[in-house]
Amino acid sequence: MATTALDNIRVLDISDGISGAYCTKYLADYGADVIKIEEPNTGNTTRHMGPFFHDEPHREKSLLYFYLNCNKRSVTLDISKNTGKKIFLELLVEMDVLVENFQPGYLEQIGLTYEELKQKFPNLIILSLSSFGQTGPRSSHFGNDLIYYAMSGIMHISGAYGRSPLKHGHPQSYYMAGMTAAYTVTAALFSRLTNNSGQQIDVSLQEVSTSHHYNGPTRYSYTGAVESRATKIEGSSFKGVKFEGIVKSKDGYIGASSQQGRQRPLFSTYAEMLDIPELSDEKFSTNTGRIENAQELDEILLPILEQWNKYDYFDKTMSEGWVTGVVQTPEDLLNCPQLKNREYFIEVEHPIIGKITIPGEIFRLPNCPWKFTRTAPLLGQHNTEIYCQELNYNKDDVIILRQGGII
Amino acid sequence: MEDLLTGLRIIDSTTMVAMPTATHILADMGAEVIKIENHTAPRSEGGGVFLDNKPGSKFWNRDGLFHMLQRSKLDLTLNLRTDEGQESFKSLASISDVIIENNRAGSMGRLGLDYEEIKKIKPDIIYVSNTGFGYTGPWQQYAGIGRMFELTCGLSQLTGYTDEGPRRVGAAFYDVPVGWTAVFAIMSALLHRQKTGEGQWIDFAMYQIGVSTIGDTILDFVANKRNGQVMGNAHPFYAPHNVYQTEGEDKWIAIGTENDTHWNNLCEIMNNPDWSQSNEYSDSFSRYKNREQLDLLLSDWTKTQNNLQLSNLLQSKGVPAGPVLNSKELLLDEHLNHRQFYERITHNPSDDIGEQMYSGRAWKMSNSTTKIRGPGPALGEHNDYILSQLLGYDEDTIGDFYDLGIISDEPNNQRSSTNPPSLEKLLEEGTISEFDVDFKSILGLA
Repeated sequence: MATTALDNIRVLDISDGISGAYCTKYLADYGADVIKIEEPNTGNTTRHMGPFFHDEPHREKSLLYFYLNCNKRSVTLDISKNTGKKIFLELLVEMDVLVENFQPGYLEQIGLTYEELKQKFPNLIILSLSSFGQTGPRSSHFGNDLIYYAMSGIMHISGAYGRSPLKHGHPQSYYMAGMTAAYTVTAALFSRLTNNSGQQIDVSLQEVSTSHHYNGPTRYSYTGAVESRATKIEGSSFKGVKFEGIVKSKDGYIGASSQQGRQRPLFSTYAEMLDIPELSDEKFSTNTGRIENAQELDEILLPILEQWNKYDYFDKTMSEGWVTGVVQTPEDLLNCPQLKNREYFIEVEHPIIGKITIPGEIFRLPNCPWKFTRTAPLLGQHNTEIYCQELNYNKDDVIILRQGGII
Repeated sequence: MEDLLTGLRIIDSTTMVAMPTATHILADMGAEVIKIENHTAPRSEGGGVFLDNKPGSKFWNRDGLFHMLQRSKLDLTLNLRTDEGQESFKSLASISDVIIENNRAGSMGRLGLDYEEIKKIKPDIIYVSNTGFGYTGPWQQYAGIGRMFELTCGLSQLTGYTDEGPRRVGAAFYDVPVGWTAVFAIMSALLHRQKTGEGQWIDFAMYQIGVSTIGDTILDFVANKRNGQVMGNAHPFYAPHNVYQTEGEDKWIAIGTENDTHWNNLCEIMNNPDWSQSNEYSDSFSRYKNREQLDLLLSDWTKTQNNLQLSNLLQSKGVPAGPVLNSKELLLDEHLNHRQFYERITHNPSDDIGEQMYSGRAWKMSNSTTKIRGPGPALGEHNDYILSQLLGYDEDTIGDFYDLGIISDEPNNQRSSTNPPSLEKLLEEGTISEFDVDFKSILGLA
């Protein structure tokens, strides 16, 4: 049996929400043994968030929870109670990594200071995700995806001239935070091999999104200019809905233009490829010329692009060396020949949902590959397995703990 | 405090944004990252961002976005089309841990520098080949750029104003997350090497990493045949959740309620206006259904207020809120500066850039130092160090390498510098929203 990259790593994930779960999805997908601790009655909040299988709200049918938590195990535990705290510390004995995203200060409040954890478990890597970090004047503020986008600089530069700032229609800030957290954990694990010491990692979700917007602050620091949203005349802006942006095709939307970077091919070859002689005009031959004549360019080009089927355009331009894009729907992705060829989608069977196709391998590590081991756990599915087999509780103890609301 | 990745040597033969992002993080963590550049092609990682908007002489060493993306690294020029260039690359590979390249699928093979060749001289090498779509499949020869993956990975299907079609958000969105995932992939492969002694080749496709960030949306189609739609700034089922105009030019506040407590506290701060208690807005379902009207009412309330003060007030009552910050406000932000998120770096006098601020990283570790080690390297800045100290070449050989054009400290094909558009012109066309001539004193740059 092939090994996985992280098969000797054990992770206790007491975080709630998307970012911590996406972090531990990366870790679990590449082999780590991830045990989720969930609140005893309701479980993670993502269990109550859509989309739901067949639109039936049910804590075992959230497809968001399902997607984020395959390959993990679940126990329930209330760590605000003293017994819960004691069991939590027992679980940590065998762990390499703890992932938490409480409001900064909460763990101290319930008597679990970082200093104490460090003393008890000197090799433990503690990953703390929070809205604004563990320190600083805003550390007690409440964030969410909208707030991170707003405070990252990304929203200020996104949207139309004179209209409101815009964010993605999907909470990407949480996913970016999960990726960031995952790489910091593996770097800390690697460093631990030589210095034998754990550490606390303080990840700020605002800063994750802010570090995505690296170019705007650099521009200001060099020139004093504040980057903005799309230009007044959108034809020249990749942030717009004209040629340089996202435009209509016959059956959807495409990113038609690859006029980017310094390696751009001659625009006349584009005109030839699409057989539009009007575009060979000298005035469109340079980038400056196309910006100055953007409206005219759009008047010629957009009606023609609207006659193309989106994949015909994509395949034609891409196979001739241009770099274009096609707005793919979820259905398109499921049918995508490239993803099919790379066996990205797999079919799995969940005890309540039944058979379902899900996205699989994020990237390929051939010698220690991504592996699917189990569907997302039912709430507390592994209580007996973990409390009785891995800790020293017996079945009667588990009943007492259950009745006491601890698990 | 120790460096996280001391002793790790990484060859960085990459361009654009995604992989340079991965390698500058590894370099900030203390790995020795050697950027291998082809001086026979123009340097391309910049963005036309120059101090005072003036390229100056040796402008290829002066681009702000180049320094941002290539900071903390060493630089070796190498013409990989020559035998000597290929031999030097292999010698360096034999004393390195990781190679990262992002050429089109197959290019390294044609140079005799792909994984199969390198493995012969360095069996446990970890070799990352980053492409748009991967080394297999019908799209393997298609090139990818960050800017297009927002569309192709499905995110644009959900993104835009609700009264028009999809629209891009952010600049080249997936580049940076793919870079972060590359760090994870490399660290995972290093952990595997530590256990087994094995290296490997990583076929690292941007496309799959992007698609994986919208897994729940794909499952919504699998289970419910829904294809998603553009969302504006809306939450899937709760309102108010949007940005609202505030006092000042292009100033906005984001208010993102996600439960009834948030809403009740917001009402209390507004002094419970009559409309907030009416049937249209008194319960969460009605608020969601009437969210466009609700947004207008809230804007009436926010438009005379200061966005920073109002968000602090809302936050003090537990309502998620925050100002929409622009690049200048970020650099001056009290909280980010308290956390030293932006790092101040002094450039070599010869580059005539002075002191600059660069984005750091979104995390801190209690036992490790991570920081920007220095500005981006000048072209060929470390040729002598790498060839003599690491590879043991003598002075004569290195001199011959310069003469034969195998290495260089000047690009021999650089396009002449075109002056960037003036800031007045950028303001007029709307690319920028404002500019400060006294930005150096505003930021306190030395």
